[in-house]
Amino acid sequence: MPPSINSFAGVRALALRSRPTAAFRPAAGGLSRHYADERNGGGRLPQAQEGQSGPNMHQQEHVSEEDAKMKKVMGQEGPDIEGQGTPVQDILKQDAEARKNAPEVMKASVKSSQSAQNARPAAPAGMGGRRDFSTWTRRRMPDLTPQSFDSSSAPLDPAMIPSDDQRATYTGYTAEAQPPTPADMSIQEENKGHRFPLPALPLPPNSNHKYRYDPVVQQVTNLLMQDGKKAAAQRNMNVILSTLRTAPAPTYSPQRPLLPGAPPASHLPLHPVLYLTLAIDSIAPLLRIRSQRGAAGGGVALQIPLPLGLRQRRRTAFMWILDAASKRKSRGSGNDMFATRVAEELIAVVEGRSGVWEKRSAVHRLGTTARSNLTYSTRGRR
Amino acid sequence: MRRALGPIDAATPFNAAPSASAAFSTSAALSANPPKKKGVVAKPAARTGRTLRLSKNTRTATARPPAPGERRALRKRVVLSNTNALEVRGLADLSTQNASRLREMGFEGQVLGLSNDSVDALRALEAFKATQGWSLFRRPASLIRRETVELAECMDGVAQQKHVERRMLFGERGGGKSVLQLQAMAMAYLRGWIVVHFPEAKAMTIAHEAYRPINSKDGSTAYIQPQYTARLLGNIAKANHGVLTHMRLSKPPELPVPVQSNISLLRFVELGAGDAELAWPVWRALLSELTTPSQEGTEGLQRPPLFLSMDGVDHAMRHSAYLDTAARPIHAHDLTLIRDFAAHLSGTSPLPNGGMVLAASSASTRPSTPTLDHVLARNEAAAYSPTYTTLLSNLHAHISALATAKDVDLSALHTLPSTPSTQIPATLLTQLKHLRTHLTSLARQNRSPADLLAALAAHAPKLPEWNPYLPLDSRVADCMASVTVQKVAGLSKAEARGMLEYYAQSGVLRQTVTEGLVGERWTISGGGVVGELEKAAVKARF
Repeated sequence: MPPSINSFAGVRALALRSRPTAAFRPAAGGLSRHYADERNGGGRLPQAQEGQSGPNMHQQEHVSEEDAKMKKVMGQEGPDIEGQGTPVQDILKQDAEARKNAPEVMKASVKSSQSAQNARPAAPAGMGGRRDFSTWTRRRMPDLTPQSFDSSSAPLDPAMIPSDDQRATYTGYTAEAQPPTPADMSIQEENKGHRFPLPALPLPPNSNHKYRYDPVVQQVTNLLMQDGKKAAAQRNMNVILSTLRTAPAPTYSPQRPLLPGAPPASHLPLHPVLYLTLAIDSIAPLLRIRSQRGAAGGGVALQIPLPLGLRQRRRTAFMWILDAASKRKSRGSGNDMFATRVAEELIAVVEGRSGVWEKRSAVHRLGTTARSNLTYSTRGRR
Repeated sequence: MRRALGPIDAATPFNAAPSASAAFSTSAALSANPPKKKGVVAKPAARTGRTLRLSKNTRTATARPPAPGERRALRKRVVLSNTNALEVRGLADLSTQNASRLREMGFEGQVLGLSNDSVDALRALEAFKATQGWSLFRRPASLIRRETVELAECMDGVAQQKHVERRMLFGERGGGKSVLQLQAMAMAYLRGWIVVHFPEAKAMTIAHEAYRPINSKDGSTAYIQPQYTARLLGNIAKANHGVLTHMRLSKPPELPVPVQSNISLLRFVELGAGDAELAWPVWRALLSELTTPSQEGTEGLQRPPLFLSMDGVDHAMRHSAYLDTAARPIHAHDLTLIRDFAAHLSGTSPLPNGGMVLAASSASTRPSTPTLDHVLARNEAAAYSPTYTTLLSNLHAHISALATAKDVDLSALHTLPSTPSTQIPATLLTQLKHLRTHLTSLARQNRSPADLLAALAAHAPKLPEWNPYLPLDSRVADCMASVTVQKVAGLSKAEARGMLEYYAQSGVLRQTVTEGLVGERWTISGGGVVGELEKAAVKARF
């Protein structure tokens, strides 16, 4: 693949993908715009006021600190907090309640008189020092450590690798008596029983056949559909995306700023879904106006701005585009004319020529005017 | 309109006065004045429709409406370039040098571009279609598949031995029949052959063209389509410009107008293209000129091999929508252009300089053609039946040498594909599967080898037979009797990989082409059907 495709990797990582939720930002101007779902300031952590304690400041102390304090009160010498923490084995020695649920290996180390660091159960006679329980646990992630620790191929200094004698000393296993190989491990290593390799986890979001298209494409296809004819809508979607693909690259208008982070215009035709998403999200209104009848007094409806969710915003934007497209004139004939007009309208949106921008700013202007009515439901009827 | 029953001079107006007054009289006239005509009162026009008439409801024309034919031209426009798509680096062209060495140069399974002059020729021949995906890529290019290489080798044989290859392509929708035909046209053009292409048989038979009866030499009536013929001649002149310039007439043509005796064939064809009245005799003369034996020594009388092709042949293998004077439908083979093509396809008209007649059926908007379907199935099965017979004779020799039926080796039958492919037609595959079941059950019962041999004899290959209770279109059956039929099925995975890599290099497929992706898309596309592969890779998921 030529490198020019790779340069689009940044384009794909654009923040133009579906977000789960949306929140209302009342100051809707053209100057600084954000996604509607940047709740609490876009993921910034809450900060404490000056001189006050924050939500995560007074937490329970660590067990060693607590122990040290207790011992200090009792006049004894507690664990060394400055140097290192208390080993679990020391805690288990004192705490009978915790010892009940402790793993076997720890119980054994508590019973034996060995030092806590090299906890190994006493070797039963005649068993070559095997444990009577397993310490093996299944790995959830694919094994990334090298399978064979061969001293010749290892990048480590050979002096650092324990010799067989040392291993026997530490583990209790000699060359003759090796630990039993876990069955699951060997299957995973040899990949036996899998005709095709297991898929890499996590599965990509479009791996389910019901969600195989981009969320915007899926929603817009459904909005294009008439009389439940989804195949016709999908064909129209195909025409729209093909038209975006083959039309000359748009020229951005400085009067109509698109979403921040929009790619260079020349990148859009080769990524028609991004083109579509950019057009729709750029004109998606942040709010709608609800007219509450009789609330303003004198039979006048009260205009109350309401925030819209992400899908609602996209839906409103695309319905505006559909309205504008149906008012356009076809220059050709055939089945694909409506889809062609929708595509032309999308291009007009990105180039800032479309009348849909006026609709968007009108809604936002009205929302700004009516922002004092936001508290209508909380303050109740006058 | 009612007409007077009696003769006109006997008819008397009813209001005629018995005797008009004298030429001059002072007495007042007796008769009353004729009733005055009422003045036409301007009545408001009756309201039409049920809508309220407001200024906002009236339509105002803002822009100039499209001119007649403009909308259709926009719909039928063939776009061969997309400036947004990336230029594929190192994309070789199908050229004169490599057109006959595709296999040696390792181009099988790769995409090759078309040079500018072949694109011009193919465009003139109307070989590109608006429904094909040419508009997505920087410049026209096509996949060299196994069938393309075989066609190229077949053309080499034709050029050497001067024989005629008569072939018909069929297969499912989107399988690449038309593009394979286009590739054959391009290769014929590059070899310097004369290329004559009927872009769509449907356009000739659905009665959208003017037609006129003529009397043939054998006494039957045929129908010419002067305007269509003129356009076809124009296409031929544009596409074969370079070859026809250097050729001249070998004998004086039978034309209603005098023609210079040593006129070049290009000028001659252009003469027919310019005048619809001359088009038909010019076409006849052109065809006879191209099918006269080449005189190698004489300047202007060399004749290269001829490439004849027609797309959507199904429409030419049935009754057309034209009617004769008794309002009976005209058979498509009575239209002279189709008759000429069918004569070359069936082999009744020879091509002494060699050549290829390549028909392609169309699977979209396909009419019902029972006879053609039957002949295609029969010819396909007949082409496979020697292999079938060999298989049976091998089994026969194997079973004859056996002592017990338990030892029978049916591995040749167990390797059968599950679905009919390019190699094994559906009818014979079913028969082979029945044979396998029969022999397996006999072997399991440990019957004698003689029983197995009897079962073999009962399963001789049976070609599809025509239902005798249905009317057979004998003209179609005769025409197709000796034509080689070739099923154009899906691509292999290697070819699909070449296709997907080309998509990725053009920037229209935004994924890394891996073995997994190729396998997935190959399966989604019904086993590598090219049109479906394009849908699955370029159009469905972006």
